[in-house]
Amino acid sequence: MTKNKRLRRRKAARILSNLYAVLVYSVFYIPVAVMIVFSFNDAKRNYYWQGFTTEWYGKLFSFANTDLWDALLYSLIIAVLATLISVTIGVLGGIGLKKFEFRTKRFINMMIYVPIIVPEIVLAVAMLIIFMTVGIRLGMGTILIGHCTFCIPYAVVTIKGRITGDSETLQEASMDLGANRFQTFWRVTVPSIMPGILSSAFLAFTLSIDDVVMSNMLAGPSQSTLPVLILSLNRTGITPDVNALTTVMVALMVAGMLALNGVQRYLKKRENRLAAEAESKRSSAHAA
Amino acid sequence: MKKALTLILALTLALSLCACGGGDPKPTGSGNEPSAASSELNIFMWGDYISETLISDFEKANNCTVNLSYMSDNADSITKLTAGAGDSYDLIMTCDAYMESLIKGGYLEQLDHEQIPNADANINEAYWFGDNRDYCVPYLMNYIYIVYDTERCPIDITCYNDLIRPEMAGQIGSIDGARNLFPMALIALGYDPNSTNESEIKEAYEWLTKFNENVVAYGATQENIVNGTISCMLTYDGNASWAMNELGENNTLTIAPFTSDPVQLGFDLFVVPKGAKHTDLAHKFLNYICEPEVMAANLVDFPYSCPNDAAVAAASDAYRNDPAFDFDYKTNIFFQKDVGDALAIYDQYYQMLKVGE
Repeated sequence: MTKNKRLRRRKAARILSNLYAVLVYSVFYIPVAVMIVFSFNDAKRNYYWQGFTTEWYGKLFSFANTDLWDALLYSLIIAVLATLISVTIGVLGGIGLKKFEFRTKRFINMMIYVPIIVPEIVLAVAMLIIFMTVGIRLGMGTILIGHCTFCIPYAVVTIKGRITGDSETLQEASMDLGANRFQTFWRVTVPSIMPGILSSAFLAFTLSIDDVVMSNMLAGPSQSTLPVLILSLNRTGITPDVNALTTVMVALMVAGMLALNGVQRYLKKRENRLAAEAESKRSSAHAA
Repeated sequence: MKKALTLILALTLALSLCACGGGDPKPTGSGNEPSAASSELNIFMWGDYISETLISDFEKANNCTVNLSYMSDNADSITKLTAGAGDSYDLIMTCDAYMESLIKGGYLEQLDHEQIPNADANINEAYWFGDNRDYCVPYLMNYIYIVYDTERCPIDITCYNDLIRPEMAGQIGSIDGARNLFPMALIALGYDPNSTNESEIKEAYEWLTKFNENVVAYGATQENIVNGTISCMLTYDGNASWAMNELGENNTLTIAPFTSDPVQLGFDLFVVPKGAKHTDLAHKFLNYICEPEVMAANLVDFPYSCPNDAAVAAASDAYRNDPAFDFDYKTNIFFQKDVGDALAIYDQYYQMLKVGE
């Protein structure tokens, strides 16, 4: 009797938790699904559904509307550069802030959160004014600096979190075994924090590619980034070719996520294999 | 090791600095000298708002590159101008409401009308106002007027005061924004639509609370009138055009036949920011878009109200017969003006209107 009751209660709990998960995920993904559906809308402006067509993908891949592609390319270049710069600085900063002891460490550790907390629009306007005062022309460089200011703190924080006591022991072991600091850095430290590097790279890339506020304020006269262009189109109604382009981007992002997952699994496997090999070597040596 | 780290840091810094220099277009050096023709024109405007053919034809005719970059809000152009980034651009799009403060602040170059004869010849005199003529060329414009469904709307609308009659309960859709709603109320009450008098604005607020009771929804007016949610709307003429064309032969929408109340007219216009590097090309461009055939072709893609009479005459039949532009009080208009410090009063009453007291 009581067992039945317990079973029933467990079943109800499972249904409830599934329902909860479905609800949460629908808030995430229904808008994206609607966006994708409307990329097949047979209407000049996306006000409501008027019929199915693949015309917009045709138009997109005929490269007739170069505006969209130019803006995407511009955004991608900026995102890749911002990722490279912020991950490089993030690795150095993360290691430095974890490993070394110095007087202003606490202060610097705290200050790294400031660009994360300060509203982006405040940073953007401040930067615009500084660039204008110093006389730097607005353009890709200024957008890039702007993006780095909010990508670097995230990269530092993520990578710092990956450096555990284990990796420090490994570093000491590596240097005990005769590797110099440089070899230790490349062959021990970097591989041990690789998952952190990859996720901070993805984070920086994502933050940069969908940024509007900085890109809007710091853009020069020659080119706009994709999010700024899309926001500008919003005035007269967004055309379905924008949906088509964003659908392609979503597909690529998902593919990228899967690839990252694959790489991380490969790294994990290799780590396990190397550990197992070392273990077997040690035991065979012991036996001999 | 410390040295290696320093080296890497220095390299990173150098790399980022290189990147800064790389993205910027080099100044062409022609400056303001009229003798050397510029080869580059930088325009800051709304996205998807000018024909690509127009741009590429202009590029070919003048052997130059036109760089378009886009704003996401009218305030963007003001921010760029006032922060001092104006001189990176040669033409900036803004709207008439900002003109007074831009001129006062000295942010604009004066136009040389000798270089833009097409603008003077073709743009209707009613659409030049005040000092603006020296500083801007109107591009396209939008009326904010009342449209209603002759079959479904309980009464015929002939003035703003008809909108607060009890018969109109649950019939109205409206665009939003303090500076779109308050002028309508001020005119209905017989005041200046750009009033700065607090007691007048307060009365307008009371008028708007009655209007509010009849409103079903703010925004998406054109969709709501097509799907039958509302039978009357305060909206832009471009939205009305979309709705009327959507209904096609079944169109029963009509523009309210106002007899005395003026309607609001807003302009998107081009200005030359102070310190612009390629003013010669900017003038050529302004003159080019005022050519009747050029603008007429542009109206095919962007069928909005156009201040250029000659272009309208040369435009396609579809454009000239658009029912949304067919009304006879086109010059009984008012403009949004800078209300200075009174803007805070408007905002205060607008918030009360939106969230209650």
